[in-house]
Amino acid sequence: MAEDTKVKDAPVAGGTKKAGTLNRFDNPWLNWKFLTGAGILGFLFFLIFLGYQLWDTNLALSARAPLNLPPLGFTNWRDQEGVPEHPLGTENSGRDMLALWIVGTPRTIFVGVVAATVGMLAGILLGFMAGFLGGLFDDVIRLAVDITITIPSLLVLIVIQAVLGRVDLLTMALLISLFSWATPTRFIRAQVLSMRESGYVQMARLSGVPVRDIMFKEIMPNLLPYLGASYIGNMQGAIISAVGLEVLGFGPQRIPSLGVAIFFSIEAGALFRNMWWWWGIPTVTLSVVFVALLLINLGLDEIANPRLRKAS
Amino acid sequence: MGAFSINYLVRRLLVFFLTLWVAATLIFIIPRLAPGDPISAMVARLSQQAGFVENADKIIEGWKERFGLNDPVYVQYLRFMTGLLGGDLGYSMARFPSTVTELVGRALPWTIGLVGIATFIFFTVGNLCGALLAWNRTPRMVKVLIPMSMIFTSIPPLLAGLLLSYIFAFLLKWFPQTYSYGFGVQPGLTLDFIANVIHHGTLPAMAIVLVTFGYWALGMRGMMVTIEGEDYMILAQAKGLKPFYVLYRYMIRNAILPQMTALAVSIGTLVNGVVLVEVIFNYNGMGTLIVTALREQDFGLIQGTSFILIVTSAFAVLIIDLCYPLIDPRISLEGR
Amino acid sequence: MEMQTENGSERVVLKVEKLRIHYATPQGDVIAVSDISFNLYEGETLGLVGESGCGKSTTAYGILQLVQPPGYIVNGSIEVDGTEVLDLSEEELRKFRWTGLSLIPQGAMNSLNPTMRVKDQIIDVIESHEGKQESKEAMRDRIYELFQNVGLPNRIYNMYPHELSGGMKQRVCIAMGVALHPTVVIADEATSALDVVVQRIVAQTLVKVKDEIGVSLIVIGHDMGLLAQIVDRIAVMYAGKMVEIAPVENIYAEPLHPYTRLLIDSIPSIKERKPLKITEGITHDPRNPPSGCIFRLRCPFAWEHCVEVEPEPIDAEHKHEVACHLYDERFEERRANAFATFANS
Repeated sequence: MAEDTKVKDAPVAGGTKKAGTLNRFDNPWLNWKFLTGAGILGFLFFLIFLGYQLWDTNLALSARAPLNLPPLGFTNWRDQEGVPEHPLGTENSGRDMLALWIVGTPRTIFVGVVAATVGMLAGILLGFMAGFLGGLFDDVIRLAVDITITIPSLLVLIVIQAVLGRVDLLTMALLISLFSWATPTRFIRAQVLSMRESGYVQMARLSGVPVRDIMFKEIMPNLLPYLGASYIGNMQGAIISAVGLEVLGFGPQRIPSLGVAIFFSIEAGALFRNMWWWWGIPTVTLSVVFVALLLINLGLDEIANPRLRKAS
Repeated sequence: MGAFSINYLVRRLLVFFLTLWVAATLIFIIPRLAPGDPISAMVARLSQQAGFVENADKIIEGWKERFGLNDPVYVQYLRFMTGLLGGDLGYSMARFPSTVTELVGRALPWTIGLVGIATFIFFTVGNLCGALLAWNRTPRMVKVLIPMSMIFTSIPPLLAGLLLSYIFAFLLKWFPQTYSYGFGVQPGLTLDFIANVIHHGTLPAMAIVLVTFGYWALGMRGMMVTIEGEDYMILAQAKGLKPFYVLYRYMIRNAILPQMTALAVSIGTLVNGVVLVEVIFNYNGMGTLIVTALREQDFGLIQGTSFILIVTSAFAVLIIDLCYPLIDPRISLEGR
Repeated sequence: MEMQTENGSERVVLKVEKLRIHYATPQGDVIAVSDISFNLYEGETLGLVGESGCGKSTTAYGILQLVQPPGYIVNGSIEVDGTEVLDLSEEELRKFRWTGLSLIPQGAMNSLNPTMRVKDQIIDVIESHEGKQESKEAMRDRIYELFQNVGLPNRIYNMYPHELSGGMKQRVCIAMGVALHPTVVIADEATSALDVVVQRIVAQTLVKVKDEIGVSLIVIGHDMGLLAQIVDRIAVMYAGKMVEIAPVENIYAEPLHPYTRLLIDSIPSIKERKPLKITEGITHDPRNPPSGCIFRLRCPFAWEHCVEVEPEPIDAEHKHEVACHLYDERFEERRANAFATFANS
């Protein structure tokens, strides 16, 4: 319910009053959520880039450092102190946590990007076709989407990986994308359906514009911010799946990603041994990535939907 | 309330049974799609570990027989499916005398309980927070506090579980770090036991609720904003209805409909999260059972646990879908 | 007893004075309603007409205190039966709503809550203002009576809005609008979304109910032909100003304001074909209205005086006012010449 009408003191008749609070007329891309999220991710990538330049990433392999050292300024349960050579500490097979962080973070994001991209492309294709062609094709796609969304993907992935054993990251990403097409398809199909009924698309159809042109020249541009938000959401989902599989022990183990590091730490009982840096550094990093992605997602949502902007 | 449309009902049931069929078929096919001869590869892997399993040969033999390695694939498939229909999920390979059904039967109630209670909390709290965020009469304080409580939104439950376990179980020792109840208490409907279960379940449930309710709040807020622009809201204002009545009968009542649909869609993701949270807390549910099975290379148990969890998820979705016409009077005409 | 004239009572039930409503935009305020004053008499039906964007709906929503942000009331006074609406506190306003002023909304299609039964939407307005009703039967009979008033069958009592046709929904809105016997009912383009035949029937229902229940009615619309059949007086708005308000028989027979003349001339007639005179909408920037008369940019009779001085409403007759310099006694000669030339052209 909108606020009751306010009666204000009368300004000079016909006078102009600037409505300073109406920021929805400003450039929508100057959205603080979007910019903050993008900024956090940008800063993270900058740190990783810096890390590759300044730090020996070979230290991420096992047995390159003393075991179980705490980060600089802390002591572990054996009263060992952190050393400058390994500022973020080490874990129980002698990997340097800083090197692991530098190497592991982009590997985790890589899985998300690949799986989300494959899923998104499939989603765009299927969603547009289902929404536009309708009929039997639409029915089949809708059914497939409903089924895929209902099945908890992790369980099928576990069965697959139980057969395949450990796989490399690209294979893992492709396996995850077996499930990451459904949500975008569902979303895009719904959007296309509602746009198809809208006036300007109807006009284009009546005036004989080819279906393909309507799809890509009329509908697609209007969908872009939604697609962006959907893509980011898909990326979150893919990273969650990847981290889940890694934490269950399915990740590549020679050069670990963040999820694999968490797997090792749980296996070694780091939670009970107060080796918080071991699982904590990957956990906090991933959490930051997720919060950044959420901010980008919310920002894109507001860019796409002016009504939400008004309410914020 | 609105009568069920036959179309809607049939479609929901069709999706339910097709989901079960697809899941069962996937679980049957996947081992056979692997490169090389997956069965012998698995047997080999199992044999390596058989050193510490007492009756390993017997298990392998039984397992080979179960899959009827020499039969044609369609015979194997039919046998597998009829087995599932009869509720026969076979034997656990690592704990031979136990059937998969027994083990799953022991674990499933814990998982359902955990997911059920967590879902109830995040759905209620989330929607309430979202409604308050959008309502123009909400006190400013509340509108500032709610977004602050949402900072964990989007973090996977697994990671939240790790953080909560470390802070509240390891450092502060307010809650137990593992298991769904203490070893000292006797399971039963006693106050002691229930208190113990709640004590153990708090952190796992919180791990899910903390990171999830924000999504529902955001979704609800979006819906409320949309509904504020509807014509019937202007009429509600003109009618001079009491503000609180307008909030729940006009706004929340209509905004909750898409949220219910969204809940059905999110069940799969939710179960993914719960499986991993259970692993962190070593909770006696299906997630922990799967991980144990993985560790013991107990393929039959992995298959059975996964399948039953998928069935449970599909069933939950079906329940929500079937409840939907009760709250949306339009569904009976339009179908979905 | 009040003296009854041909056009109803002399008692003023709604007195609007200097009502001014702006919409805030970053480029400055858009003047939607500009110092409008008029009276509504007891039992009267007043039609409010004008082209789209002239501020007629905003006026209605201003009277109802329903202007949605970024719109706001700049100044003015709205008195209903002696109560100054703008001075009411929030809770007083809530209680005053629907008993003092009720609304039959534009687009009744979406004006009913889709998840509430028809009866519950009428019951909620009754119970919000009269408290919880003890007898379910009494309530049901009361709603049946309302249904009967507007020609709705009793079977829709338990139905949901989506089960009704457009005309039925509109009738539900009418029944709801008069449920508490408010002093003034405002019908905002209440028939626009319906097809022509249903439009007439619903409009007649509206008038019938109004007479039966004895409320005063403001009907907003752009269909001059339809309005002519149901209203007592017509108020013509142009760009946020009220340019003429007159008994309906006067305004069709002899429209005074040049804009009213254009409007009347533009009513299509089946008997003769004539070119439409209105070819353009409001032409000036609504943030910076022209000096003097609001209509002078499109007026065929405008002269220097119209640029310099804003015309005040002039009483032409009883209950008939026009805001045009031509009707100023000082310019009588000019008026005669102007109309003569215009007629010859």
